[in-house]
Amino acid sequence: MTWLVPLPVALPLLGAGLALVLGRRPLLRWVMSTAVLTTNVGIAAALLWETDRNGPQVVWIGAWSQPLGISLVADRVASLMLLVSAVVTLAVLVYSIGQGMTGDERDTPLTIYHPTFLVLSAGVSNAFLAGDLFNLFVSFEMLLFASYVLLTLGGTSARIRAGTIYVVVNVVSSALFLISVAAVYAATGSLNLAQLSLRIAELPDPLALVLQLLLLTTFSIKAAVFPLSFWLPDSYPTAPAPVTAVFAGLLTKVGVYAIIRTQTLLFPDSPLTGPLLWAALFTLLAGILGAVAQSDIKRMLSFTLVSHIGYMVFGVGLGTAAGYSGAIFYVTHHITIQTTLFLVLGLVERQGGSTSLIKLGGLAGLAPVVGVLFFVPAMNLAGIPPMSGFLGKASLVEAAIRVGTVPAYAVVAGGMLTSLLTLYAVGRTWNLAFWRTPEEAHEMIRELSDRNPLSGPDDVVPYRDRVRIGAGTYGVHDQVEARSVLDEEDDTSRDLFQLTEQGLRPTRLPRTMVGATAGLAVFSLGLTVVAGALFGYTGRAADDLLDPGRYVSSVLTQEAR
Amino acid sequence: MLALLLAHLVAAVGAPALVRAFGRWALSLLALVPGAAVVWSLASTGPVTGAAVRTEVVSWVPALGLDLAFAMGSLQWVMVLVVAGIGATVLVYSAWYFADDETRLPAFAGHFVAFAGAMLGLVLADNLLLLYVFWELTTVFSYLLIGHDPTRRASRVAALQALVVTTFGGLAMLVGILVTGAQAGTFRIRELLAHPPSGPAVTVAVVLMLLGAMSKSAIVPFHFWLPAAMAAPTPVSTYLHAASMVKAGVYLVALLGPGFSQVPGWHGLLLTLGLSTMLLGGWRALRQFDLKLLLAYGTVSQLGFLLVVVAVGTRAAALAGLAMLAAHALFKATLFMVVGIVDRRTGTRDLRKLSGVGRSAPVLAGTALVAGASMAGIPPLAGFVAKESALGALFDVAGEGDGSGIAGPAGWLIVVGVVLGSALTVAYTSRFLWGAFAVKATVSRSRVAPAPVGFLAAPVLFAGSSVVLGFLGHAETAVLMPYAEGFRAGGSPSELTLWHGFGPALALSAVSLGLGLLLSWQHGAVTALQCAVIWRRSAEHAYVRLIHLLDRAAVEVTGLTQRGSVSTYLGVILVVVVLFPGSAMVAAAVDGSPRVIPWDNVGQVVVAAIVVIAAVLTVRSRRRLKAVVLVGVTGYGTAMLFLLHGAPDLALTQVLVETVTLVVFVLVLRRLPEYFSDRPLTRGRYWRMAIGALVAATVSGVMVLATGARTAAPVSTGFPREAVSFGGGRNIVNVTLVDIRAWDTMGEIAVLVAAATGVASLVFLRTRVSTISRIQDIVALPTGRRPGHGRPVWLAGGRALTPEHRSIIFEVVTRLVFYPIVVFSLYLLFSGHNNPGGGFAAGLVTGLALMVRYLAGGRYELDEAAPVDAGALMGVGLCVAAGSGLVPLAFGGAVLQSAVVDLHLPVLGTVHLVTSLFFDVGVYLLVVGLVLDLLRSLGSGIDRHLARESAGRVAETGETA
Repeated sequence: MTWLVPLPVALPLLGAGLALVLGRRPLLRWVMSTAVLTTNVGIAAALLWETDRNGPQVVWIGAWSQPLGISLVADRVASLMLLVSAVVTLAVLVYSIGQGMTGDERDTPLTIYHPTFLVLSAGVSNAFLAGDLFNLFVSFEMLLFASYVLLTLGGTSARIRAGTIYVVVNVVSSALFLISVAAVYAATGSLNLAQLSLRIAELPDPLALVLQLLLLTTFSIKAAVFPLSFWLPDSYPTAPAPVTAVFAGLLTKVGVYAIIRTQTLLFPDSPLTGPLLWAALFTLLAGILGAVAQSDIKRMLSFTLVSHIGYMVFGVGLGTAAGYSGAIFYVTHHITIQTTLFLVLGLVERQGGSTSLIKLGGLAGLAPVVGVLFFVPAMNLAGIPPMSGFLGKASLVEAAIRVGTVPAYAVVAGGMLTSLLTLYAVGRTWNLAFWRTPEEAHEMIRELSDRNPLSGPDDVVPYRDRVRIGAGTYGVHDQVEARSVLDEEDDTSRDLFQLTEQGLRPTRLPRTMVGATAGLAVFSLGLTVVAGALFGYTGRAADDLLDPGRYVSSVLTQEAR
Repeated sequence: MLALLLAHLVAAVGAPALVRAFGRWALSLLALVPGAAVVWSLASTGPVTGAAVRTEVVSWVPALGLDLAFAMGSLQWVMVLVVAGIGATVLVYSAWYFADDETRLPAFAGHFVAFAGAMLGLVLADNLLLLYVFWELTTVFSYLLIGHDPTRRASRVAALQALVVTTFGGLAMLVGILVTGAQAGTFRIRELLAHPPSGPAVTVAVVLMLLGAMSKSAIVPFHFWLPAAMAAPTPVSTYLHAASMVKAGVYLVALLGPGFSQVPGWHGLLLTLGLSTMLLGGWRALRQFDLKLLLAYGTVSQLGFLLVVVAVGTRAAALAGLAMLAAHALFKATLFMVVGIVDRRTGTRDLRKLSGVGRSAPVLAGTALVAGASMAGIPPLAGFVAKESALGALFDVAGEGDGSGIAGPAGWLIVVGVVLGSALTVAYTSRFLWGAFAVKATVSRSRVAPAPVGFLAAPVLFAGSSVVLGFLGHAETAVLMPYAEGFRAGGSPSELTLWHGFGPALALSAVSLGLGLLLSWQHGAVTALQCAVIWRRSAEHAYVRLIHLLDRAAVEVTGLTQRGSVSTYLGVILVVVVLFPGSAMVAAAVDGSPRVIPWDNVGQVVVAAIVVIAAVLTVRSRRRLKAVVLVGVTGYGTAMLFLLHGAPDLALTQVLVETVTLVVFVLVLRRLPEYFSDRPLTRGRYWRMAIGALVAATVSGVMVLATGARTAAPVSTGFPREAVSFGGGRNIVNVTLVDIRAWDTMGEIAVLVAAATGVASLVFLRTRVSTISRIQDIVALPTGRRPGHGRPVWLAGGRALTPEHRSIIFEVVTRLVFYPIVVFSLYLLFSGHNNPGGGFAAGLVTGLALMVRYLAGGRYELDEAAPVDAGALMGVGLCVAAGSGLVPLAFGGAVLQSAVVDLHLPVLGTVHLVTSLFFDVGVYLLVVGLVLDLLRSLGSGIDRHLARESAGRVAETGETA
């Protein structure tokens, strides 16, 4: 079934072309995009089945003689990533159609959205399938350019500002990637990953280390590994909900995938265990502390996103089969759950007018469905058993205990602390946005706007001009927000209490949006149910990774090496 | 057992709907589910007494050692009865407790039943990991149940606090479990107990697990969450925070005891903290005014006691511990339910406001009296039997050790502590009974609404059970013995009975009772002492401080990392590049001396120098236009380098790209200030220069090293031969682009689509579809004439421009060169496979032709020249390219495989056609579309913005004039 392999890339590209041609035919465009992405799910599932039974599926594009052309390789890891990303992109697409159907075109202009989204999807698929380093670079460019467009949709000043950070950082990282590709080609004369696996082994170790660190640095920027992660929380949260959802779910994971792929295939003898484990620890802690400090749910979740990348790096840093298995499982879990949560935030935004913890309240009573859709995935994110977040975490800790070194135990401790603080962060969110009444929230806004951070020692926490109200502290920007809510003349900023008072709160949610979110939430719970089979699969995938010879021999014939 | 759990799950999911349909009475219906567990457990009494263990295993995640393994021995038998029995009863009680207008009842029912299921799973699990699963689930449902009335800040805060504190312990426990499992090779509890692992790792693991147990069972220093959790409605407090969940920690200790009680640290930790908890809880209970809080502190105290007894690890103590656990569940549940009734019927739980409730509600008072007596340890009640057995067991331990290893002073200390604790228990029991029911001279009589029989049924049932259980000592011993036999037998025989004979146990019971009565008689002195000794630094205070500290750390760290400035983020990234790959590069350079060839010919040096100078000048320039032109110079210089390397194709493409870029930049610059903003010369600038220089050094070093290290033949050596023989083209660059690496090209043209779409998105904001305005659509031209009239012109669209923007010579030249350029571009397209050219270059040339039309004649002229939607054009291009890639699949080929066809056409003769041409045509269309799109958005689009603004300005000045 090798003919299936290029389709997850080619079909969305064809679809993107069609979407542009169908610029004035919205209905046809929706049907076409949905059909393409649904087909992708089917193809990915078929590939998953096929690779697990018959080994990696390899295609040499254009039937050029090896190793001249470009190869696409669907092995176990790639197929799993492909399937999860296909499911997630489909859900997000359906969700955004729902959003578009309600006339919310301003937020997500669909004539721009559809083709770009399909290019993004093609880029993500290609990144998983690429068997060629330069082609991997091209995949990154595809998904990045599409993401530049999606991030700045609508062109509001906040989005342009966030977009500037995002674009500049990513352009620099792409340049770094290109430099790495050039260096690799200069040293080995090849770009095919399988051939590189053989040729890098022949290079002197110090040079191989240089190449490894270059690639690792590049991918760590994409994956948002500390300290290359600071750009992420400043850029993701401003985008429209479905866009943030797909970014949070997929883009960083593509970086993680690239790390896993290159680490195991190109540099199998240099696991860099120490540095990666420390990076994992700092990623976990810096990220989750950021989450605790936020007063906006979107930003909070963006920080948990960064933080939990640490879990995946943790698995990679262990360098054992169990570690990789856990990392792959965690990637699968995290793609699904982060996407689900950001989609839910889109619903929260519709129901509550905002995702700011200052303005929200009482959603559990006002919108019980949204409440359930938030609570269950949020608990999953926090690693509450028996859900997949717990299983992933437990498998990583088990792997670390088997490794048993001091850094490994340090990351175990950090990982547990992260888990606790994640729970604290989402619990606080639940307390404020879902439990507290809108009236109480409004009262707090009054109090917050009255407080002056310079008024006296009682009010002021002795750092960063923050004021303490109840259990939390609030910064100057929170006060500005509170004042804008109370400002009679500014009708762009209203809290949920005012919206309800003025009858501006929409009571109904588009069924497609809720359906897509619920579907993805159920899918994420499904991961828990099939966890046994899934861990079996990720275990086999990890074994594949640790034996690069298998990959090489399935891609290259003996003569072509 | 799995079936029972599934029943709970189904019931929990269906509960909200049931309650909505049938109101609060549906709760009684739901009670049938835990009721079934009780029946099942009772039915297993026979086998359990015979030391048989019921098991059930379903595989789940073998890779983690996590399976759905359940087992019921005698320990689990008691726990199931407690958990499910009290669960069912409290559900019935809740149906009476809640008012009809309770809006959150559906959610309550769901959470409550789900909790009952989780709790049942916890006690039945025979896999430590599975136990942890249920453990955390009970925590989560406890969170939801404590926050039953989330409009009160206290309940929210208490819920979160309980969640955080118990999960902290839970996570420690998880690590402990995983370490234990790794040491033992299994997570099955019965296997672990049969062959307990040992070693320092296991010691640490056990301590971690105990941390979990203690946080769950509200043992000092985690105890503070439990009284706060009393914000929950009374049924929740009764079930979760008295009878079941808080016992989970005690259960865990009891469960692990047979295998791990000799692990170092076990006794020290559990006995010290357990005893402290018992005393602290009792002491605190004595100063509460809220009846529920009084009971809550009492629970804390009793949990400490239970922990001490089950942790000791002798057969007699184990037996007494389980009996105490059951007795406590019975009397504490009764008392909580009584408080609930008092609260509902009088409207208060404050003992300073209650008076004479006993006279008005004698049955209630009698029930409370029985339960209270059991709590205080007065015969013939279950509490007495258990407590006396416990005292006896502890006395034996102190005297002879009984294999526990804590004989002597430590043992005696425990005995004294427990006696003191029991005295406090007696004292707070009498405070409770007096406070709730006595007639107080200074307080006016409380109004008590009569309680319906159903409301009273549950507490009466439990009080009765306390009495009955007191007489069932023999049967109880028989059924609990299989568990107790896991421990070493002590000096005196272990038996639960009302009458142990005259002995130390009876004496100790009497002493504690007497002391307790003394304390309550001298309550004035006690109160004075309470007031004198106040802990300033309580555990709760420490928790709050910790959370504040966390808050601050979070803010400080985040403030440090999230500067919101691009230059900081880039600085960090580049420093990492210098630190890691950079230092590795230096190490590699030191390791092997790279072989360097400075240049192939001098021309390269000259071009490189020009490029470098242009780059430096770019950074230094203050005018935007100058910077753009200088960037162009670096681009053209690169093209020169390609040319010097013998790649005319690449050079041609590079020059075309640079030209288009330059024009596009200039179009954009119309909207930007002429100069970059002033940047003062700060120290930061030197840092940035240093970083820049270091990055440059790193990259150059890497390139030199990498190039010098190559030993294998590059893959490209195969290109020339294969390009002709397989690709059917003599232009290797083109064959590479459209065939060998066509997959890259397909990706890159998709990038172009995205980029063009992005530009259009930012300019037009709303839509991708451009509106095409033909000259005929204009009503009035600047000249005042209507279009379509007047003499013919060189460029039709030019008439829409104002005369000062027009240049006749430019228009004439444009008209003359446009079509030749387009024809030339088509030549490039079709000949590209064998000669310099190709779809990309051809597309750019066509684009340049359109650009010239636009520059000469304005936006109407552009639309006249290309009256098509740019997006659609790009779409067609992408479809053709991707489609031509897929077609070979239909013929059994590989994606993007090309075929060579020789066509014999009438006029043209033999045409050598390679099917990759179709792909190239797609690229061509797409690139034309791209340029058109850029012109429409950055050219025409900005034209419109400018026109609108100047019109606005004119209108404004007109108004002011």
